[in-house]
Amino acid sequence: MGNVAMAEGAMAAGLQFFAGYPITPSTEVLELLSHRLPETGGTFIQMEDEIASINAMIGASLAGAKVMTATSGPGTALMAETISMAACLEIPFVICDVQRNGPGTGFVTAPHHNDIMQCKYSGNGEYEVIAFAPMSCQELFDLTIEAFNMAEKFRCPTFILSDAYLGHLHEQVRIPPAKELEARVVERLPPDRETKRFFTFRDDAGAIHIPPPPRVGQDPFPAYLFSQPHGADGIPVEKDRALEFIERICHKVTDNVDSIAMTDEYLVDDADIIIIAYGLPARVSYDVVNKARSTGIAIGLIRLVTVWPFPYEKLKQLIAGKRVLILPEMNQGMIAGEIERVMDELSRIERIPSIGDIHHPDSIMKVVKEVARKS
Amino acid sequence: MTPKPEFYPNEQPEHPLTLKSMMGAKEGNFGSLFCAGCGYGIIGQLFTKVFDKEALDPLAYPLVLGIGCYTQMVTILHHGIQKIVALHGRAPAIATGLKLANPSLKPIVMTGDGDCLGIGTNHFVHLCRRNLDCLVILFNNGIYGMTGGQVAPTTPKGYKTGTTMGPAFENTIDGVQLALAAGASHVARITIAHPRTFMKYLKTGLKHEGTSVIEVITPCVTYFGKKNVDNGGNSLASGGAMLQWIRHSTTWRNQAALLDDDELAGKYVIGEFKLDGGKLEYSEQYDQIRKRAMKSGDDGTV
Ligand SMILES: Cc1ncc(C[n+]2csc(CCOP(=O)(O)OP(=O)(O)O)c2C)c(N)n1
Ligand code: SF4
Repeated sequence: MGNVAMAEGAMAAGLQFFAGYPITPSTEVLELLSHRLPETGGTFIQMEDEIASINAMIGASLAGAKVMTATSGPGTALMAETISMAACLEIPFVICDVQRNGPGTGFVTAPHHNDIMQCKYSGNGEYEVIAFAPMSCQELFDLTIEAFNMAEKFRCPTFILSDAYLGHLHEQVRIPPAKELEARVVERLPPDRETKRFFTFRDDAGAIHIPPPPRVGQDPFPAYLFSQPHGADGIPVEKDRALEFIERICHKVTDNVDSIAMTDEYLVDDADIIIIAYGLPARVSYDVVNKARSTGIAIGLIRLVTVWPFPYEKLKQLIAGKRVLILPEMNQGMIAGEIERVMDELSRIERIPSIGDIHHPDSIMKVVKEVARKS
Repeated sequence: MTPKPEFYPNEQPEHPLTLKSMMGAKEGNFGSLFCAGCGYGIIGQLFTKVFDKEALDPLAYPLVLGIGCYTQMVTILHHGIQKIVALHGRAPAIATGLKLANPSLKPIVMTGDGDCLGIGTNHFVHLCRRNLDCLVILFNNGIYGMTGGQVAPTTPKGYKTGTTMGPAFENTIDGVQLALAAGASHVARITIAHPRTFMKYLKTGLKHEGTSVIEVITPCVTYFGKKNVDNGGNSLASGGAMLQWIRHSTTWRNQAALLDDDELAGKYVIGEFKLDGGKLEYSEQYDQIRKRAMKSGDDGTV
């Protein structure tokens, strides 16, 4: 099951602490980890709500543990304030959002990729996040390990955007031997004793450095931790340096977009129609592209394996000169809006929204044939 | 660049204890930002004194503060203690994560009546329910000081605030009774007019294994004091007047037992309400579960 693969991916990545609150369709993650964690010496706790969960998580992360929670859209909404605080203090953690239909309570077992913007913009302030959009159980395992690694390296809120169908999908997963897994895992480093720099800073040449986070119970530690604009030592700065601070915590991610953002380009070069997709619709789209190609349509696929940080520059180059961009999204077109920012005037976008269900390949194929005919 | 403003008065410390505080150890001076007559300065000093006297290992007692005027107490608290400022109301949840990820720590939570009994009540109740090994010091000044004097869930009936049309009329919440009902194993209430007893409770709380809740009645001169008068119509706008008011508003627990409900209305009952050293603490309980799980290897996977 997708939720199990995700939980096992987290265990393989070195998960030590999980705090959560039951919510459909993510609950299996809690149930499984409530057994798996104590068995391997870790800690599981069911908190009183999602606000408590994420706060317990950042407490545990500050004590040096690798931490995660699993939830759905309403839970992510409750966590927003603390996600923002943790972004300010650069505390590493992973949130698995098994997306369900909204707004409100919605259809709780129906998928809906409606947290694409929420995961990035729900908290106050300006900061960047990293978000993965897996499309299979194998990827839920593999990309969860990657998400933990990214959280450690870039110290910013990191999400796995699963959904109600993917989380409950049953398919085989290959779990590599322990040795192979160990080699893939990025460990938490102890704080830098010598420089006593705990937070992202720019060196004299202007290059950004992300040192390891401080650890409660160990020296050295900042004079105090307060989610206010601060310097590398953690001491709050004056108002006139707030911009510098925000610029640092954003650029540590956006400057590294090439090493964080993952895409898969399939038959893109000679295509004049491009499907752009992420998550389950991407999985459907590979089939659509193969079928359409067999009927002679020059079509390709750009799959976003991560949605944040958004690879604007790369996409701009990839879609330059392409006639039609088809966006099958499990929402009304959240990423279509990002594509509009980088596409040239000659291209046009065809949105194919699907809410509460995954796209049938035929529904995408229909649009492909229509736009191919008009050429 | 504009010259850096002088935040802290450059006074020579009157008392050697000052140098044990964060500002004292760093700058060699006294660094309180509180209004004259505020109780937080006194509480901060008393805490630092007890912590220093008990010669506890500062690294084992991380401090998590909520948001309120008392957040500024970081400057006068023991310099060795690691200090984390939480979001408004969330300190108990952060403390829970700290304790469970590293059970050798004993977190201390400092929180206000708005922080703990308003926005963060849920976390406070569940911390007590779990009996997590953690000391909670709850400052009750009966008002929201930081935001400028709005009504708190603890504002005594009949007193004026910035968000009540006339005197406050809502029923109040009692932090001590709440902690007791929720299951905290050490519960006490005291006021800053009783510094020695406060220090005694602090010592007990620091050594207690389980959730310890110490509520301290403390004056907000600037907002509660300036807006209100005592029974005789005298202004409460000074530290001295507020201390008098606090003294007159308190009854020791053993005396309270002799009073009826009318006589007790509007009184703070002070004293130690509970001290149960035998109650199992959460992280210890979890440790037993973990040991069993690691031995059996039954991870429950399907
Ligand atoms: C989510 C959120 N809501 C509101 C505030 C504004 N706020 C800051 S302190 C405070 C009240 C604090 O009251 P209390 O805990 O009693 O502390 P005091 O200032 O009286 O010492 C409020 C409402 C905030 N910081 N965060
Ligand atoms: S406003 Fe009230 S609580 Fe805040 S520092 Fe001043 S006297 Fe103290």
